[in-house]
Amino acid sequence: MPGVFDRLNKELQGKKQDGGITPLDLIDLPPALRKIMRLMLRELQVGYPRLCEIVDAMPAADRMTRDELQSALATLTEQFWLIRIGEGEKAIYKVNLRRKEGSKLMAGVWSALDEKLKDKPE
Amino acid sequence: MNKGKIISVRSFRGGTGKSNTAANLAAQGALAGKRVGVVDTDIQSPGFHVLFGLNEKKMGKTMNDFLHDKATIREIGFPIHENVGNVAGLSKLKNARIWLFPSSISGRDISQILREGIDFNKLNEGLQTTIAEFDLDYLFIDTHPGLNEETLLSIATSDVLVIILRPDNQDLQGTSVTVDIARSLDVPSLLLMVNKALPKYDPVAVKKEIETLFNAPVAGVLPLSFDMADNASSDLFSLRFPEHEWSKGLRGVAQAILALE
Repeated sequence: MPGVFDRLNKELQGKKQDGGITPLDLIDLPPALRKIMRLMLRELQVGYPRLCEIVDAMPAADRMTRDELQSALATLTEQFWLIRIGEGEKAIYKVNLRRKEGSKLMAGVWSALDEKLKDKPE
Repeated sequence: MNKGKIISVRSFRGGTGKSNTAANLAAQGALAGKRVGVVDTDIQSPGFHVLFGLNEKKMGKTMNDFLHDKATIREIGFPIHENVGNVAGLSKLKNARIWLFPSSISGRDISQILREGIDFNKLNEGLQTTIAEFDLDYLFIDTHPGLNEETLLSIATSDVLVIILRPDNQDLQGTSVTVDIARSLDVPSLLLMVNKALPKYDPVAVKKEIETLFNAPVAGVLPLSFDMADNASSDLFSLRFPEHEWSKGLRGVAQAILALE
């Protein structure tokens, strides 16, 4: 029977497909947002309390107030560059990178290539 | 944050010796007692595995399998130290701890990636999981030359970016672009390595000139070497010929990386 996890997972997959940040977008982010995204790229997913700990441990020049952090997280979440699971103190954030699209070459090119490679051993 | 460091080895143009340098740097790290991973993210034109004596027959699961949910990172890690054979240089890694995460050389797998694209969430998950799963001190990433989305992702997640360039005007212009991007992405440490410098050049003068030009440290100026070309990627040159000038220069670059906090 589908449970809460299945529903959340389905919702998450739907959100992932909707957008995501490209590595190129990272360059244009304001410094505070870019810091969070770099952090999230390394951590993959982080709960809000842990995120606060990490930000508090940053060098003074990079540190953010709680308001700044929440504002940055809200901006990144609205863009679906971060995905938030849960709310408030229990929220978990995950980075969402946009898929690199496949080649725009005509489908026939690929089927011809597949045909050529078909008889080759794995 | 994961304890292991990600070292991305890049060049703007092909033919700089990037893959050879990445493989030898990783090997030097492993010889220094570090747990090292080497990953080939050049999924469209893989070749890194050749330097570690791996061919299509010996290659098990690959990054392509991971990207298509057919294998876990644990299954992909190929323990180089357990498969060194009798190759003079490679065999020195027998007591080291170094794993290769190869990309597939199968034409079908490469065509699938070109056709379907790449799930970057999955690729990034793979890079980060590799460090945790294998308890790595360093993960060296070999990337496609030039700038594309995969290379930007590897730069964005790196602790250290090593840019290889030749003393050549095309390389200098391309390196300038890469340095700008690395700075835009807040990469914590940036090192330059000049490779294939002609014997008539003074390495000290080249180092000074390049450092002034890019306002970044040059970790080594390595000579153009026919011996290196003659090696033809059949072995890890710095392990096979440790007293060669190229190998000495390479060890200097490895030490600069290991010295970074």
